[in-house]
Amino acid sequence: MRSRHDWVIWAFFWSGIALTALFVGGPVLNALWLSLHQASSFIAEPRFVGLGNYVRVVQEADFWRAMGNGVIYAVASIVLQVVIGIAFAMVLNQPFFGQRLVRGLATLPYLLPTVVVALTFQWLADGSVGLLTVLARDLGLGTIPWFEQPATARASVVLASVWLWTPFVTICVLAGLQTIPPALYEAAKVDGAGPVSRFLHVTLPQLKPVLTVVVLLRAVWMFNKFDVIWLLTRGGPLGATEHLPILAYKRAFSQFDVGGGAAVATVSFLILMTIVTIYIRLFPLEEKR
Amino acid sequence: MASVTLAGVTKTFSGLTVVHAVDLAIEEGEFMVLVGPSGCGKSTTLRMIAGLEETSGGTIRIGPRDVTRLEPRERNVAMVFQNYALYPHKTVAENLAFGLKMRGASKAQIHERVQRAAAMLKIEPLLARKPRQLSGGQMQRVALGRALVREPDIFLFDEPLSNLDAKMRVHMRDEIARLHREVGTAMIYVTHDQVEAMTLGDRICVMKDGVVQQVGRPLAVYDRPANRFVASFIGSPEMNFVDGVVAAREGRPVFQARALSVPLDGVRHAGLADGRALTLGIRPEHLERAEDGFRAEVVAVERMGAESVVLLDAGLPVRALIDRDDAVSRGDVIRLRAPPDRIHLFDQDGQALDA
Repeated sequence: MRSRHDWVIWAFFWSGIALTALFVGGPVLNALWLSLHQASSFIAEPRFVGLGNYVRVVQEADFWRAMGNGVIYAVASIVLQVVIGIAFAMVLNQPFFGQRLVRGLATLPYLLPTVVVALTFQWLADGSVGLLTVLARDLGLGTIPWFEQPATARASVVLASVWLWTPFVTICVLAGLQTIPPALYEAAKVDGAGPVSRFLHVTLPQLKPVLTVVVLLRAVWMFNKFDVIWLLTRGGPLGATEHLPILAYKRAFSQFDVGGGAAVATVSFLILMTIVTIYIRLFPLEEKR
Repeated sequence: MASVTLAGVTKTFSGLTVVHAVDLAIEEGEFMVLVGPSGCGKSTTLRMIAGLEETSGGTIRIGPRDVTRLEPRERNVAMVFQNYALYPHKTVAENLAFGLKMRGASKAQIHERVQRAAAMLKIEPLLARKPRQLSGGQMQRVALGRALVREPDIFLFDEPLSNLDAKMRVHMRDEIARLHREVGTAMIYVTHDQVEAMTLGDRICVMKDGVVQQVGRPLAVYDRPANRFVASFIGSPEMNFVDGVVAAREGRPVFQARALSVPLDGVRHAGLADGRALTLGIRPEHLERAEDGFRAEVVAVERMGAESVVLLDAGLPVRALIDRDDAVSRGDVIRLRAPPDRIHLFDQDGQALDA
């Protein structure tokens, strides 16, 4: 009985390890190896160049611009997702008629494939008949060139990302809000706290464990996000929305510089790892309430 | 310091009335206990006084102020909650200080009052701790402290001791009584525990199904319960009730219930007409051993230490409280008497005859 039980545990354990090694560890090591070689394609004979690719890419203006774009995109979309996500969650946490239905609908964008959301957003932002374009025009804002100018293109990818991933924050925060004992709010009311003080002194501190994880996950995902930007702008116009993952992809697959692309991806990985390490030091995940 | 006056205070939740037109006056400095079984509306009444629940009708005054429509923070009340409701992310000192901070007290004032409250409750060594590092009793002290520092017009307590173990409960009960003596502010205290009510209250207000049954000094309520519910709720073990009729025997009134007959000579109540259906109530502690008493067989003995509760069969089930040295055991037949001045009589609606 006992040995059978052990067998099941080991089977799950080793199959997990094997799959991770095959589909995560393998590609990571392969990328590291590629980043130390010069190759014009994945089938070409690679030539070892040591840290040459790294030296080359970090000296290029494209790299630093992509890094700046990535930081702007990640920070802007995380801040907006968290702020709007908390606001939505607080509204959805109030009792009102049709609450369940609205809660369900609010999660919908998150459930849709990115390509569907990106295409829908493109229609909404269509230069002549898009709903957002018409709305902006009617509001007297003129015709907004959603994807044609650097500033608006940056704003557009942030907007689409916020639309797509805010529901994730909303769901997590809503779950967090539901664990806050109502008596804390009552105690705060009796203690003389108004709505803003109650938010700052009860809601926010009680949400801290949830927000710590949510911000961490969103930071990792937004920094690595590829699909939504690629589908909307392909990094344009003039590289305004090109961040490190897109730069790495373009290098490897459009410019046939596999080693350079791998070097960009590796540097991006190291930067993210540094950020995450600092973040976890500042906001330890295991802190209990 | 202020008095509290409730006039016709009513609460209705989606068509269901849970508090029916409560009239209650709590005097300055008084300790009033609202007591009753769960669902009797006592907590809802307290929450309406705090402003945490809107009233559906009636008015609430604190001192001369009509606070019925005011927010909790405008009422200057402090409340101690059943589950303490301490802010988990704040230290004990910050928990104590929060109410003062919200009211814009100066740092010096906050420090002074927090220190004074902490000294009163002997929680100075805990000031830097977080609530999760405290025991139940310590958390309750901090919750008391949080109310105390505010120096409110009224203290409200919502079953504050029900999460504590029996020993700590008795200890904290004494502590609350001491605090009341020291601060002298009116306190309104909700509990389902009649022992807490009896020991703490200057007066108690017994509630059932959202209706006030009786308000009075604890011993007055114990001695002269207004109805059968109050008689059964106040006092432990519960009062014995026997349904029967008044019969005249040799010109004297006797209470007759199956084989049991209790002379009503000297019972002070009027209206003992022959043939009237009544309920007789007698507290277990008031039954006496007497040779001329009614006959009862011992069914079980619950030894509680100084006293024992004896379950008896006198043709009807009866409980009596006897001294531990009074050695009775199962199967013994004893004779008991209900002293006339200890007998309570209730009409068929459950109202006391002398009420």
